[in-house]
Amino acid sequence: MGEKKQIPVYCYQCVAGPDLLKVEVEDGVATRIASNFDIRQEHPGGGRVCVKAYGLIQKTYNPNRIASPMKRTNPAKGRNEDPGFVPISWDEALDTIANKLKEVFDSGLSDESGYPRIAASFGGGGTPTQYMGTFPALLSAFGRVDLGFGAGQGVKCYHSEHLYGELWHRAFIVAPDSPRTNFILSFGHNGDASAGVTGIWRQADARARGMKRIQVEPHLSVTGAVAAQWVPIKPKTDAAFLFAMLHRVLHELSIDNVCDTAFLKDMSNSPYLVGPNGYFLRDAQSRKPLVFDQRSGQACEFDKPGIEPAILGTHHGDGVEEGPDNTSWNHVNVAANTSLQCLIDHVKPFTPEWAEKECDVPAARIREVTDEFLAHACVGETVEIEGVTLPHRPVAILLGKTVNNGWGGYQCCWARTMLISLVGALEVPGGIVGTNVKLNRPANSRQASAIRDADGFMHYPFNETSKDAWQQDPKIRNAYNTLVPLTSDSAWSAALGPAHLPWLFLKKAPTNWPKPTTPDIWFQYRTNPAISSWNSEDVTTQIAKFPFVVSFAYTRDETNHMADILLPESTDLESLQLIQIGNTKFIENLWHHEGWAIRQPAAERVVDSRDMTEIATEIASRAGLLEKYNAAINRGAAGMKLKGDNFDYQLDESIEHDVETIWNCVAKAASHELSDGKSVRDIHWFKENGYMLREFEEINWFLYPHMRENNIRFEMPYQERINRHGAQLAHRLSEIGVTWWDKQLREYEPLPGYQKFPDIWTDYVTSQGGDPDDYPFWALTARSMQYSWGANAGIPLINEVANNIAGHKGVIINRAAADALMISEGDPVVIRSIAGVTRGHAVVREGIRPDTLLMIGQFDHWATPFAKDLKLPSLNSVQSLAIELTDATGSTSDIARVSIEPDPEGERRHD
Amino acid sequence: MTELLDLSGKASGTDSRYGMVVDLNRCVGCQTCTAACKHANDTTPDVQWRRVLDLEFGQYPDVQRLFLVTGCQHCADPPCVPVCPTGATFAREDGVVAMTYDDCIGCGYCAVACPYQARTIVHEKRSYFGTTTIQEASVDQPDRLGVAQKCTFCIERLDEAAESDLTPGVDPQVTPACSSSCIAQAIHFGDLADPDSNVSELLAENQTSNMHSGLGTDPQIHYLVETPAVSSRSHVDSEPAPGPLQKFWDIRATANFFFGGMSSGFAIMAFVAYLAGEISGRSLTLAYVGAALVMSIGLFAVFLEIGRKSRALFALKKITTSWMTREIWAAIAFFALLAADFVFNHVVLHLATAIAAATFLYCQARILHAARGIVAWRVAEIPAMLVAGGLLEGTGLLAVASGWFPQLFTTSHVCAVAGIVLSCLCFGLWAAYASRARTLKDDDFYLDIRENHFAKPTRDAINAVKWPVHIVGHVLPVLAIIAGYFSKAQPHWLWIAGGCFAIAGGLIWKSTVITRASHQQGFSLPSIPARGSGRRAAGARFDVPRIQEQAR
Repeated sequence: MGEKKQIPVYCYQCVAGPDLLKVEVEDGVATRIASNFDIRQEHPGGGRVCVKAYGLIQKTYNPNRIASPMKRTNPAKGRNEDPGFVPISWDEALDTIANKLKEVFDSGLSDESGYPRIAASFGGGGTPTQYMGTFPALLSAFGRVDLGFGAGQGVKCYHSEHLYGELWHRAFIVAPDSPRTNFILSFGHNGDASAGVTGIWRQADARARGMKRIQVEPHLSVTGAVAAQWVPIKPKTDAAFLFAMLHRVLHELSIDNVCDTAFLKDMSNSPYLVGPNGYFLRDAQSRKPLVFDQRSGQACEFDKPGIEPAILGTHHGDGVEEGPDNTSWNHVNVAANTSLQCLIDHVKPFTPEWAEKECDVPAARIREVTDEFLAHACVGETVEIEGVTLPHRPVAILLGKTVNNGWGGYQCCWARTMLISLVGALEVPGGIVGTNVKLNRPANSRQASAIRDADGFMHYPFNETSKDAWQQDPKIRNAYNTLVPLTSDSAWSAALGPAHLPWLFLKKAPTNWPKPTTPDIWFQYRTNPAISSWNSEDVTTQIAKFPFVVSFAYTRDETNHMADILLPESTDLESLQLIQIGNTKFIENLWHHEGWAIRQPAAERVVDSRDMTEIATEIASRAGLLEKYNAAINRGAAGMKLKGDNFDYQLDESIEHDVETIWNCVAKAASHELSDGKSVRDIHWFKENGYMLREFEEINWFLYPHMRENNIRFEMPYQERINRHGAQLAHRLSEIGVTWWDKQLREYEPLPGYQKFPDIWTDYVTSQGGDPDDYPFWALTARSMQYSWGANAGIPLINEVANNIAGHKGVIINRAAADALMISEGDPVVIRSIAGVTRGHAVVREGIRPDTLLMIGQFDHWATPFAKDLKLPSLNSVQSLAIELTDATGSTSDIARVSIEPDPEGERRHD
Repeated sequence: MTELLDLSGKASGTDSRYGMVVDLNRCVGCQTCTAACKHANDTTPDVQWRRVLDLEFGQYPDVQRLFLVTGCQHCADPPCVPVCPTGATFAREDGVVAMTYDDCIGCGYCAVACPYQARTIVHEKRSYFGTTTIQEASVDQPDRLGVAQKCTFCIERLDEAAESDLTPGVDPQVTPACSSSCIAQAIHFGDLADPDSNVSELLAENQTSNMHSGLGTDPQIHYLVETPAVSSRSHVDSEPAPGPLQKFWDIRATANFFFGGMSSGFAIMAFVAYLAGEISGRSLTLAYVGAALVMSIGLFAVFLEIGRKSRALFALKKITTSWMTREIWAAIAFFALLAADFVFNHVVLHLATAIAAATFLYCQARILHAARGIVAWRVAEIPAMLVAGGLLEGTGLLAVASGWFPQLFTTSHVCAVAGIVLSCLCFGLWAAYASRARTLKDDDFYLDIRENHFAKPTRDAINAVKWPVHIVGHVLPVLAIIAGYFSKAQPHWLWIAGGCFAIAGGLIWKSTVITRASHQQGFSLPSIPARGSGRRAAGARFDVPRIQEQAR
């Protein structure tokens, strides 16, 4: 028996990370994984790692790994083409890539359509960044890269929440303040499968102290399983439920008694007067929005000291409305509703009885739920956090992915935030908080990103829609900065644009638009869009058209089946990187500390792989980009600026540096900044100790104190800016003759209206020549805790343990529905939609609506070793990729109309 | 691994009594504990010492879904321990039910005795990818091949705690991997004998439920089913929870119960015929030799079933507790006595040999009955069925022998009387047994009926042979015997036919009960969580009526 060592590393396989772990290593072989209990006092999940981390050993020693660089010998690409991969040397592989890059540089970074010739796609949620070492510096050195070829969003993405969340309360992701929340109303939010260690830990603690959760969703998820009540709702009708809740509060109960009127008056745009054209009534000189002062009986600027603004009613005053494209309307003694009054009028038709017909939930149940929500809100209570007295509103409303993805997402996010605002539970203890920003800057502080604008709201960096500044020519193929003002233009914006449009446009070019092109070079890393995209078969066909694909390949898979070069990267336990941990971010990751953690080679390499940092450096060097690449690292492309006010650990930009040298500089800069120069640690210290922390104040979990201090209001309920940008964007697109985005433009409403969202999918079937009656089921998906987004689908250990949870062996169908179709547990079934077909086995359960099918995770593999033998169905295979199904934010939902029937070609599953 | 274990458990402190409290309100079924256990204990593919099930109760839309943490319950009265013929399975003084792999023969008796599906036997080397990786090679545990394995509460960690100041359940490095890895803090581990321990406090302050406590196992995993605001709700399965069909004892075990029962029954009935004066002492010893040959076939078959054949003789060790050990000793006594009887042909030896055969038959009856993990085996009728069945099959064999060799075995009266009496007795026993395979009615809420009622797969298996057993094994033998009693034909085909029917009936029901109706005990709890209401957490402000009063 050799010497045993415990090597500290981190796991960041999903956005709920990172969690820290230790790898037990014996004679250079990684043998076991365990939590890193050294950090159990500081880590908000007791220092533990979740099930996925335990798959890393098998990931390392998977005999199906790509053992050396390979090149394609069959120029023909396609699912049914054998790529004919043959091993080559690293030199040949890197030179081939470098030469290709030089060709691109010689012919210009942009192609004939103005799109970048180089493209790169990465897996979900930014997690690949935690493994790709200095590759971001190489991307930076390239100059222009199209990062907008989507690798699949639905199951991975809270799309509307990301965009509107950042707008309304700097909440790229919304989380409950679990340590204090007493009541959560969850519309399909599957946090106990997706919120990682800290989310599960905090929620379990909350349940143990008596927190109640009501789960509203079509199937009883793992999160629903531990909820107090399950309310089965018709898919995609959550907005109706939420609108009816607003109706209940605003039309059936006393606003003064159940709402936080002080919050509405001082912290929202409720008192702002709305003119007859739907824009705020403004002071003619200052252009500030007006409110009606009850003391003076006059309309006056919203921030005039000593006023008592009315939040309800219709009032009169003089003012000006600023419409789109500098249009304005001057008014004298015009009647204007307060913003809150507009809301009240807006939700009048949405009675619980109306909602009952929409969402198949009894009106009485909607009223009960609303009343419980209000009762738990504890309006008027306060709590002290680190010496600061804050409102205490222990209620939260959470939205799942299909709920806030695609059509209906705006409505749900807005109604949720509005309900929370009505009781003043936004960004206060016990309520809902944002965890991080991705579109606003600086990225490391929500507070610093919230700067007051002239209207009293947070400044938001919309993409311009004015005639002068609109970016008519899309920067990249998904046109985020042209089509979606809300995506802004940060490093994350490309991924948050309509990332499925490039695939769709390659299939059918849009009119009056730059000609869709394939990139000259496409890098793909930790992503498998041929599996994880909507209508994965279509996407596979498009990938096959790409002329030169470089795949960082762990094993063969469906996407790198089309690759020209396969590069085996050193995986999770074999490579070196430092990342930031702590602070607040992603899903329920709210810490009392912040700092840095290391991932380091724990095991001896078993294949001829290389560290991503080494690969990036080599490509930079061979392609003549070394100085730009080193400069990017110095600027912070590896996660930390190497030069600060009081330190300078910069690399010599003229020479190649090895992996250790680069990360040693990052380690020193990071520790210097963290400790104010008191404890500068090198990479060896991090290798030994695993992480370095400093304290982070809990008051920073909440945006409310910052808003209060800086007199900033939450932009609720009235969406004047959204309305104006929508109108301007409509003008711009009309001017260039684009009509295919018209339906999306109608979503830009100041108070979102309701439409029968399920009908969008039913109507789509009809539009494609199908009969909706032939597809009587709603097919949905759900996150798998064990597989996360599917990157570990080829790991047998994960498959073994995941199989203990229902749905991992096939498609879940309601027992009565299955009986009616003569389908029994384990029977082979075929699921068809207007777009495609997928096959699997029936998993018969009671906890799902009779009109709904559920396919967990993302499967239907045909090339990935092991995964391809699982014979699991996938929603992606039957999901349609269509403009009609894309909302204004550029996303659609994981949902499809399908049929299910016994599969005569399949074999029964007997386990 | 074995050499690291302190088998006495004393090192862990004789005052300790380790156990778990699993908070079902916390568990989300993430499988982290399962994976962590697999890492900590190097278990091979499909071996899960800690398993979390995904259960559903009720019908749409009134459905409750529950994640149930299962595994060895480290029972205070573990049914697996007394049955073990070698002593490889034992309970330590600190309550841990442990294994000495090197003493285990892999007979599977502990596995069928466990009502919690906690034990596994892996006979072939397994690897996750089809080829052994270097990591799998470095954590290989060859001593576990072909033997029973199960959760040990991470026994090495407990023993490490005993050598240090660390406390299991508090310090993660000396806490079972499932507990220390749990990301919901659902699995609490600690010393139940210490009133101040975390687990004792949880038990004292909350309502808990145990699994299958009616079986007298006194399990030491306690399920916390209460939430701060709502007490648990009692739960009665509308159907007995079905488990999978056991694979530990297959047709080879059936062969032992069939050949062993028939042969010992034959020896006993031959002795009865001898007493009745129908056969001679020499014929009796010949019958004993025949019985021994038949019995040997069964014993050889069961030898083929065990995982570690070279250790077969270890099974002689636990005569104090194990009916399997006693069965083997009875067989040895039978062989020894019949050898002596063959030489000395003495009435005392005739009697002693018959008693050995009867002991063997009785042991067999008790073996199956003691397998508390299999509902179809543990029920009250089983011992009598095996004894009466063995005697009936033995009578059948005697009838065949006397039909075939009338010069040696002229046993018409004994065969006739015993055949009819035993057929009737077996008919009644089988009818009573098969009544457990009827569909439960709503008023069948007697605990014993429910706990020992057959789940649907078992019911289906039993009902499929209910009447064939009656007709072939009980009715036809009686008809043949009655007809044969008045027939003078030679050879006596009616005797032979009647005997064959009786034997065939035994074969049908034994093979069914042992290999097709032998579903393991399923999982269920008498109480399940009702989940939180938030009432306590929200305090005085929780006032829905106040809100509703304001409704216009």
